Amino acid sequence: MDTTAKPQYDNGVVQYLTVGAVAFLVLGTFMGTFAAAQLAWPALNFDIAEITFARLRVMHTNTVIFAFGGMTLMATAFYTVQRTNGVKLWSNKMAWWTAILFTIGLLAVVVTISLGMTTGKEYHEQEWPLAIAIAIVWTLYTFNFVMTIASRNKETHPNVYVSNWFFLGMMIAITYLYVVNGLAIPVSLFRSYSMFAGVQDAMIQWWWGHNAVGFFLTAGFLAIMYYFVPKQAQRPIYSYRLSVIHFWALMFGYVWLGAHHLQYTALPDWTGSLGAVISLAMIIPSWGGALNGMLTLSGAWDRLRTDYILRFLIISLAFYAMSTFEGPVMASKTVNALSHYTDWTVGHVHSGALGWVAMVSIGAIYHMVMKLWNTEMYSMKLINFHFWLATIGTVFYIVAMWVSGIMQGLMWRAYDEYGTLAYTFAESVAAMHPYYAMRALGGLLFFSGAAIMLYNVVMTIRTANAKATSQAEAHA
Amino acid sequence: MSNLEQYFSTDWSSMTGQDWAGLIITVLVFFGMLITFWLTLRPSKRKELEEEKYKILKDD
Repeated sequence: MDTTAKPQYDNGVVQYLTVGAVAFLVLGTFMGTFAAAQLAWPALNFDIAEITFARLRVMHTNTVIFAFGGMTLMATAFYTVQRTNGVKLWSNKMAWWTAILFTIGLLAVVVTISLGMTTGKEYHEQEWPLAIAIAIVWTLYTFNFVMTIASRNKETHPNVYVSNWFFLGMMIAITYLYVVNGLAIPVSLFRSYSMFAGVQDAMIQWWWGHNAVGFFLTAGFLAIMYYFVPKQAQRPIYSYRLSVIHFWALMFGYVWLGAHHLQYTALPDWTGSLGAVISLAMIIPSWGGALNGMLTLSGAWDRLRTDYILRFLIISLAFYAMSTFEGPVMASKTVNALSHYTDWTVGHVHSGALGWVAMVSIGAIYHMVMKLWNTEMYSMKLINFHFWLATIGTVFYIVAMWVSGIMQGLMWRAYDEYGTLAYTFAESVAAMHPYYAMRALGGLLFFSGAAIMLYNVVMTIRTANAKATSQAEAHA
Repeated sequence: MSNLEQYFSTDWSSMTGQDWAGLIITVLVFFGMLITFWLTLRPSKRKELEEEKYKILKDD
């Protein structure tokens, strides 16, 4: 047996998921930009119910989080689990079924939401038949991942690399969070009511809601960071021990945070305090993880001048550090009294979603495209252009929301000398207009970058396929 | 009862099943983190753990 041969992996399903992720990134950011434009210029809803802001915004969140984010997580998990364990997928056929059913399920989610079918639960709007289907697909994904790790050669790979831990933690947590929050009593094919009532429903909802951020959008993408930053930098992660601490602190700590979304509501006061305290405590592992990724470049920072893919990965860590500091500050009761219900929250979410999740995904996808098709990118200059569009777009977006959010909060709480509100709600809405326009511009820049990425990826694949065909013909 | 004693006093008889479950989980998590720190950061494990990070550089 030739032990020096290059290992063979199941790449087809990863290729499908990678291209799918880019396509959904373009679609999702288009929806987001369109929704942002509707807030600045409401006539853009054209009085069409299916694309009014209330539906379009939810279509956008489902497309970017579950379709783009989910496909990226599936692509990277299937890609990395094979390489870190030196083995093919346990079941390539199951992986293909997972990928195809996930695509169909997510398209069905977007269509049903546009038709007004929703549970009304944030990040869990899918009605019960689709929620059950998604839970089954997620279980297939998890099972295949676990079995691939279990089927590794334990003599050559005695230990499991830390990125797999993050993926596995994400898979297990999301399974129970999604199922418990989705418990509902169906009354028709596309209508159901939550099994929980009143304040318990709110508590369960935000236990899921914040952990969708903590596990789906953080732990899963940290798995991506722990594999792709060292691979792209061609240097080992700064500290493996710090990555282990980072993992366990995240797993132990994150599940307690949800109640900080419900400060000053009917929840017992101590639950909000607990959420705020643990949120502040989570700054430590989050910054430890961000530094671990960034310090991987110690002594090789000059690589950032020439490696545009590495730029995406490293700036994502800067945004990760920034948003994991901002979030706990906003969770504290004093700041929350001002920030809650304002655009500041929207800005915070997008500094994490655009700056961290999307940027680290984009870096990983560019890396995978070159490896999977065994080629260089069609245009490195376009990657550099994409990087600046994405970075400037993100900064435009979050700065606009910081300013408008803080202004909103201050206007809502302002009193005159008689103790009555100084501003009407409509006045606060009118004051937002310039910032809504600026946010739409930021979104447009980010969307343009995503469209350029799709073009670059498609051209890379076409060029690689043409080259492979001509080489095959030359050999024939 | 001083202010401090009052602040930290607990009416144990009014603890519900959920309260006890929450308390036990919190204490277990605390010890879990302590054990994790000890297992990961003890100097004798340093070489073994840090060697793991080099493996992915040659996986493909």
